[in-house]
Amino acid sequence: MFKKVLIANRGEIACRVIKTARRMGIATVAVYSEADKDARHVGLADEAVCIGPPPSKESYLVIDKIIAACKQTGAEAVHPGYGFLSENPEFSRRLEESGIIFIGPKHYSMAAMGDKIASKKLALEARVNTIPGHNAAIDTPEQAVEIAKGIGYPVMIKASAGGGGKGLRVAYNGREAHEGFIACKTEAKNAFGDDRIFVEKFVEEPRHIEIQLIGDAHGNTIYLWERECSLQRRHQKVIEEAPSSFIDPATRKAMGEQAVALAKAVNYQSAGTVEFVVGKDKSFYFLEMNTRLQVEHPVTELITGLDLVELMIRVAAGEKLPFTQDQVKLDGWAMECRINAEDPFRGFLPSTGRLVKYMPPPELHGVRVDTGVYEGGEISMFYDSMIAKLIVHASTRDQAIARMRDALNQFVIRGVASNIAFQAALMQNPRFLSGDFNTGLIAEQYPKGFNAADVPHDDPAMLVAVAAAIHRQYLERNATISGQMPGHEFVPGEDFVVLLGADQYQATVTKAEGGWDVSFAGERYELRSSWQFGEPLYIGTLNGQSICMQIERRGLVYRLFHWGVQADMQVMSARTAVLKALMPIKAPPDMSRFLLSPMPGLLTQIAVAVGQEVKAGEILAKIEAMKMENVLKAERDCVVAKLLAKPGESLAVDQAIIAFK
Amino acid sequence: MHDIIHQLDEKRGRAALGGGQKRIDAQHAKGKLTARERIEMLLDDGTFEEWDMFKEHRCVDFNMGDSHIPGDGVVTGYGTINGRMVFVFSQDFTVFGGALSEAHAEKICKIMDHALKVGAPVIGLNDSGGARIQEGVAALGGYADVFQRNVMASGVIPQISMIMGPCAGGAVYSPAMTDFIFMVKDSSYMFVTGPEVVKTVTHEEVTAEELGGAVTHTSKSGVADLAFENDVDALLMLRRFFNYLPLNNKEKPPVRQTTDPADRLDFSLDTLVPDSANKAYDMKELILKMVDDTDFFEIQPDHAKNIVTGFGRMEGQTVGIVANQPMVLAGCLDIKSSIKAGRFVRFCDAFNIPIITLVDVPGFMPGTAQEYGGIIKHGAKLLYAYAECTVPKVTLITRKAYGGAYDVMASKHLRGDVNFAWPSAEIAVMGPKGAVEIIFREEKGDPVKVAAREAEYKAKFANPFVAGARGFIDDVIMPNETRKRICRSLAMLRGKKIENPWRKHGNIPL
Repeated sequence: MFKKVLIANRGEIACRVIKTARRMGIATVAVYSEADKDARHVGLADEAVCIGPPPSKESYLVIDKIIAACKQTGAEAVHPGYGFLSENPEFSRRLEESGIIFIGPKHYSMAAMGDKIASKKLALEARVNTIPGHNAAIDTPEQAVEIAKGIGYPVMIKASAGGGGKGLRVAYNGREAHEGFIACKTEAKNAFGDDRIFVEKFVEEPRHIEIQLIGDAHGNTIYLWERECSLQRRHQKVIEEAPSSFIDPATRKAMGEQAVALAKAVNYQSAGTVEFVVGKDKSFYFLEMNTRLQVEHPVTELITGLDLVELMIRVAAGEKLPFTQDQVKLDGWAMECRINAEDPFRGFLPSTGRLVKYMPPPELHGVRVDTGVYEGGEISMFYDSMIAKLIVHASTRDQAIARMRDALNQFVIRGVASNIAFQAALMQNPRFLSGDFNTGLIAEQYPKGFNAADVPHDDPAMLVAVAAAIHRQYLERNATISGQMPGHEFVPGEDFVVLLGADQYQATVTKAEGGWDVSFAGERYELRSSWQFGEPLYIGTLNGQSICMQIERRGLVYRLFHWGVQADMQVMSARTAVLKALMPIKAPPDMSRFLLSPMPGLLTQIAVAVGQEVKAGEILAKIEAMKMENVLKAERDCVVAKLLAKPGESLAVDQAIIAFK
Repeated sequence: MHDIIHQLDEKRGRAALGGGQKRIDAQHAKGKLTARERIEMLLDDGTFEEWDMFKEHRCVDFNMGDSHIPGDGVVTGYGTINGRMVFVFSQDFTVFGGALSEAHAEKICKIMDHALKVGAPVIGLNDSGGARIQEGVAALGGYADVFQRNVMASGVIPQISMIMGPCAGGAVYSPAMTDFIFMVKDSSYMFVTGPEVVKTVTHEEVTAEELGGAVTHTSKSGVADLAFENDVDALLMLRRFFNYLPLNNKEKPPVRQTTDPADRLDFSLDTLVPDSANKAYDMKELILKMVDDTDFFEIQPDHAKNIVTGFGRMEGQTVGIVANQPMVLAGCLDIKSSIKAGRFVRFCDAFNIPIITLVDVPGFMPGTAQEYGGIIKHGAKLLYAYAECTVPKVTLITRKAYGGAYDVMASKHLRGDVNFAWPSAEIAVMGPKGAVEIIFREEKGDPVKVAAREAEYKAKFANPFVAGARGFIDDVIMPNETRKRICRSLAMLRGKKIENPWRKHGNIPL
């Protein structure tokens, strides 16, 4: 076994690999860019080597620097994680030449599967179901239209090197095929430098289901069941689970065996994933093979009880897989939510900055958190926005979902925005709950993006009870202040009015052993909690059921976060409520006359001039954030009155850029 | 006897109605509460003891003899806020537009005299059209009587003004002499001369809101300390604010139970200060993570944001916090921030509130605007305030403490009791770049030498040890233990007693 491995990655996956290596008694070396000097993975590793400036192209993607770091530290093997160099055959080959072991497949396997057209040919040869399509690069839009006609619409136009939602179009007719081809080609050329495009049948109501497998150098290849990854937003996975509620044992077996056949065809010797698209009729077609550890591997680990990183390290060291296909367990249900630093209420724009608070739920009772950050750490603009993965395991799907809901309630992130509210909303989406969904779910359910109104609270009484009890607790403490008039001390009341949106609740809060009893609308709620002032989590029981909410006191408002809902509540005496009703309702200032920055970032361009008439949809300005250019377009026809920011300026969220007449 | 009781009830009923139901409705229609409703919101339920309910004006000119309303446009008395005594006057806009008469002023003076006698704060709820013109000089005299009492009470009992309607002309000078001015957005304004006079004299067109509204005074002029959305919110927040203040200058600030451990460590603070000296960070994060229960009551949050002032609690006891804010103007001291912090420091000193000073200051703001504006004298106010101050002073330098600004910010030399520094502290006359340009002027053209000199300077001064070697810093502490170390320091300082030499009063550079 290796004595020392280097992890050529960052973030949660680097931390996760280090954890297993450490358990196996292997010393670890982290590499980091200058932006990651204080990152979590650097602190966790036994040694760390700086490999250059923040941009990945100058650090995490530079093969020479990784090899130099191996030589400098004496690391015998490299685990590449996912992304970066993990599927780069050149990297694997160069390591081999330098006498360093790549913890992953052989470079020839990787190369064979890395090319979408080549891999499809291989799949055909290995008798793997493939989607009807044209297996050669297409040169012109006209050719694309003709081929599409031959396959039958709808078709998918894909760049060979495509991924992450780029270089991908669906066409339902000739015009769309023509346009899609041109768009894909341009995108692919810009994004990957490889503009080969091919066309295939587009499967309707498709599910994205993938088979995890592992092979060793002794000819053993075993599949580790499937992962259901259909819940995607713009082709990015959001929630993954294993097993899939859609797959029956026979399909599972058929998919698994085809995946193994494909892996054997390329002498695959590591952990890998064969992606399938599955139609409504359970017909499945090979999509591609990912020759690396996947982001969502933990759900497989939880249902099989295996450690995939450990297996990867062992097979890379030449060991034989210690189990057979028959011995692979399928125990219960696992589910993973990707926790991203992005704001679901602002079109999922990436959020950067300091993690002022970061408290993941404790890893107990079937909850696992793979995290790459820490409280006080910095979410940098240089890398992707995934900061953690929340994974749960339970005996059934329903229990797993319940556990996930609880865990999301407990996940505290402040300072940067997170998608937790969105994940929580999905966890109560009826279609998701029923298991009857496909890759279109998010686009169909949230056609206009995600809004706070999309998550009404199932049981507002819970919010009312907690807010009332907290208020009483604050009043009780006020009663302890020194310097009161002797004999005329403050006595907190117990009857309150709770305001939640437009609703009013008349609640009575009385002291009880270990908490409060809150009564309103003819019901009594027994609330028990050891919550103390300033704590962001209110953990306790409500009528014997455990509850967990997040709390912020903002002036007179108690802001509660629960099940993806953000509720602003006020609690007051009945008399105050009467007088409060006399207060004017102030409309928020009209900001529609301004173009506001939707995210913090660098203003790179203002495309309009003062006095210019702008039509809806025209480009107004460009902002760079997280390495991404974001184009701001006019929402309606308008005339530019004033420019309020200059190109090159750093913008805060909601900072005004342009004023309109 | 029955007759008298009957009359009493009738008089009370009339007084309670102020200017009558119609005017009350008009007040409500403007989104404002009546004088009595405001007191009800402010004080603990049923604790208001009203005085002078039957007081009436004595004016007979301009038909005023026929129009008497008991109470004469102001409701006065005392009660409690969370059981602690406070005197209150609340002007009643429904009665003669809240205009101040001689009798009205007498009522205010009466409670102020009592407040001074027993040592309890005074809260004024201002909603008045101005002097009662029909009374002439008698009303003006009434104002002056109140002013005189404001000054006599200053530094003896806390005085708070809540502006809840118009406050114009001479009337502004009573609030101006109190310790804190709060305002209600969109329904209150303060100015010496109104928009119409402004237009006649200077030809400026300006609305009352722009000239003297809550937003103007809390962001531009700094006259007011806080603005609230409406009457109810304002009064409820005033109750919360009151909890921080001692009742008078002989008392210690109040203590409220806390469950937040004094020895709580916060490791996220270890990464608060960025590596790059030019990168900003939010000093408020340190404040929130240091004080009890993340509870910080900021004063003047929208004015001179380069310095943060406000109240928090450490182990339950009120502390005043003054902190440079690197997020705004790099935390430089300028005219506005010096005045803002100087006044805050003096309030804390007057009322025995310990001061925690968090320092990250690159110096005083340069420029003609500052010099012509008199930064020398205004900066001196903050210096004077800190130097004069005898309450416990705990100072923490988080990063830069450069030049004269280092001295000013509660340094050891200004009788700082405990002066801490984080390892990231840099205490020097100026930053490395500027220093090298002056010390090694002749090497200016040689970038290699300049870089070497900068590195040399940095190694020597860009740390807390030079100051530590001289005892100007008592200890270098880890950011994570900030709360613990400051709590201990304050506990140690609880018995602190020093006195300044007797004098009539010092001569602060006004």
